[in-house]
Amino acid sequence: MYRQKKCMVPDFLENSVVRFVHLLRRLGVRIGSGEVIDALAALMLVDLSERETVRVALKATLVKRPGEREVFDKAFDVFFAPPEEREQQQETYGQKKETDRRLLEQAGQELSFRGAPLALSDSEKRIFANLPEKERQKLLEFIKKTEEGKKVEHNFRPVLEKVIKGSLAYWRRGPHGRPPPHETPVTGEQEMDALVEAVGAGTVNGSPGLLEEDMRSISDKDLLQAKELIRKLARQLSARITRRYRRSKKRRRLDLRRTIRYNMRYGGTLFILRYRSRRRQKPQLLLLCDVSGSMTRYSGFVLQFIYGLHSVVGGIESFVFSENLARVTPHFRSGEEFSAVMQEMVNRSGEWGRGTNLAEALRVLRQDYAHVLTADAYMIIVSDTKTLALFDAARELAQLKRKVKEVVWLNTLPLQDWEHAQSVGTFRKIVRMYPCNTISDLEKVMRGKIFS
Amino acid sequence: MKPVDFTITELHKAFREAGYITDEDVIITVYLALRLEKPLLLEGAPGVGKTELAKVLAAVFNTELIRLQCYEGLDENKALYEWNYQRQLLKIQISKEMTSMEDMEQGLFSRQYLLERPLLKAIQSERKVVLLIDEVDKTDEEFEAFLFEVLSDFQVSVPELGTLYAHHVPIVVLTSNNERELSDGLKRRCVYLYLDYPTVEREIAIIRSRLPEVGERLAAEVARAVALVRNEQEIRKKPSIAETLDWVRSLLALDKDRLTKTAIEQTLAMLLKTKADFDVFQKKIGAARLAEYVSAEKVYGP
Repeated sequence: MYRQKKCMVPDFLENSVVRFVHLLRRLGVRIGSGEVIDALAALMLVDLSERETVRVALKATLVKRPGEREVFDKAFDVFFAPPEEREQQQETYGQKKETDRRLLEQAGQELSFRGAPLALSDSEKRIFANLPEKERQKLLEFIKKTEEGKKVEHNFRPVLEKVIKGSLAYWRRGPHGRPPPHETPVTGEQEMDALVEAVGAGTVNGSPGLLEEDMRSISDKDLLQAKELIRKLARQLSARITRRYRRSKKRRRLDLRRTIRYNMRYGGTLFILRYRSRRRQKPQLLLLCDVSGSMTRYSGFVLQFIYGLHSVVGGIESFVFSENLARVTPHFRSGEEFSAVMQEMVNRSGEWGRGTNLAEALRVLRQDYAHVLTADAYMIIVSDTKTLALFDAARELAQLKRKVKEVVWLNTLPLQDWEHAQSVGTFRKIVRMYPCNTISDLEKVMRGKIFS
Repeated sequence: MKPVDFTITELHKAFREAGYITDEDVIITVYLALRLEKPLLLEGAPGVGKTELAKVLAAVFNTELIRLQCYEGLDENKALYEWNYQRQLLKIQISKEMTSMEDMEQGLFSRQYLLERPLLKAIQSERKVVLLIDEVDKTDEEFEAFLFEVLSDFQVSVPELGTLYAHHVPIVVLTSNNERELSDGLKRRCVYLYLDYPTVEREIAIIRSRLPEVGERLAAEVARAVALVRNEQEIRKKPSIAETLDWVRSLLALDKDRLTKTAIEQTLAMLLKTKADFDVFQKKIGAARLAEYVSAEKVYGP
């Protein structure tokens, strides 16, 4: 079909659509080549001088997820902007790039030890360059004092680099755990980078929308909307779980005994068939949610999610832990509203907002709740991995893993911090781990990773 | 007129005449699906008019609407075709000693013993029909994969009969309440439309089009009230367009021409259907406040 129509599509249109699709893909919209062909065919059917009609035609053929519609609209406005606006975008991007280059150069010169620059990545230098003046001076002061210290050898350099990297990692998350402004992916092509940047600035301006925002940073104003999203996710997952367990590769099996008995009335002719009913297995889910101090904001969301699951799927065992473990399943089964359930749990369980001792929590689970650790149980741990007695916890986790079908860890620590956290590396050797600090992460996990 | 002969303006007019009041965006998307002969995938919250759109298409093109209602566990036998087993057995019993085995076998697997289910019926139809695959998100992923194979080629292979080709490519409308994400494969084959709740202005137009006896004032007050209720995030089951119309009908039945506190209290059950939503309404909005809110503006828009 495309071959026939291709000759009818003007080159400039084909070129523009392909470049526009390229931009959308850069922004995370999933588009296949078949959809590009559909878009071109659709454009041949509408009045190209009608901007809104073109927008609708492209949207109908290229964007197939509700969440991508907003990005599409912003990208459309940027990409199909009047030439003078496009020039302005390019100019702004060029200036920004030049400023960034100068800042990196300056940061490289400032962050040096005994005249030679420290081995820091561009990303780390960028964080330094964007720090408040006071904090920058503090770091420079620290380097200076180290240089001037007594008995300071050249081999102090790696130690100093590690300290500076650690400090910048803290700032990467921001003083309140807030992630850094979104870094636009670079394509290497200035025009495309400028467009991505312009759409990014339009959508984001630092904040990537509710789905992409760190759950800790979601403001009270957006809380209800976030909870609604989470409730929806819980419903989607429960649909997945129940379906999965009802699905069977076998076709319906004939129940010969019942068929013959039933058909005696027809003289033995097998007129009405009787089938064995499919056995419906209940999902065995085991949820462990970290409610220690560092997890306060996340646990609110995660428990909301668990509450949603409980309301649809039976057979879930839920626990919260910090320094110890508490079973909270009965609260979720009470049928009360979420706020009442939370209130009751906080009152009854003494685990809220304390430190974390995962080893102790897992030990209690293994010893006191052995009956829930069955060979067909999936265990989901939601935690930022920060715990006392790390290696004891790892040992306990390895033991538990042998008792259940699968252990999946949903880590609320931002992905970029994983490499700096020893605990993450330790637990990842034992179980599958997925980032889960945004609602979007939670959605991706739900979309298929957990039970694949 | 054939679907491909319609212009966007003509299609919009035909939709209006069939009582489906909607935006130009929706019409353009439907128009593209018709012209490209691609399935139209409609997503959106329950009650925004997805199923209705398919019915209107059938009305506009004066053709049959064949509906496949999806549910968990739906399989090919229920969606495509099945052999009429009981009839085949009866045939065997009747002609046991009269026909040769070979003739009997040939006869048993002929068209007259084939039970056409919606998909096959749509493909085999003598004229272009509208095939509505409703709530496709309720089916299993395996069935979805089977479905997009059928929707790609519009042909079905029945081992005993060979390949059956579509006489006319049907107008296919798939709806989804987004309970689970549909596969990329299925989405790729469709033209996509997300239907949202109508704006206040649009809802007034819908009310007045469906219930011409309603006064302008009452229509505006109801539309504004419904928009406010839908905007309350804690209300789980947002009122659908059909529920708005039911609400207006109940107000008319009680001879109300204004949305007063008493009128709201007497008829709210037409709009909110769960106790939890009712409680949220009482706590967050309340009949008195709603009545005050809708009467504050003369006609349009919160």
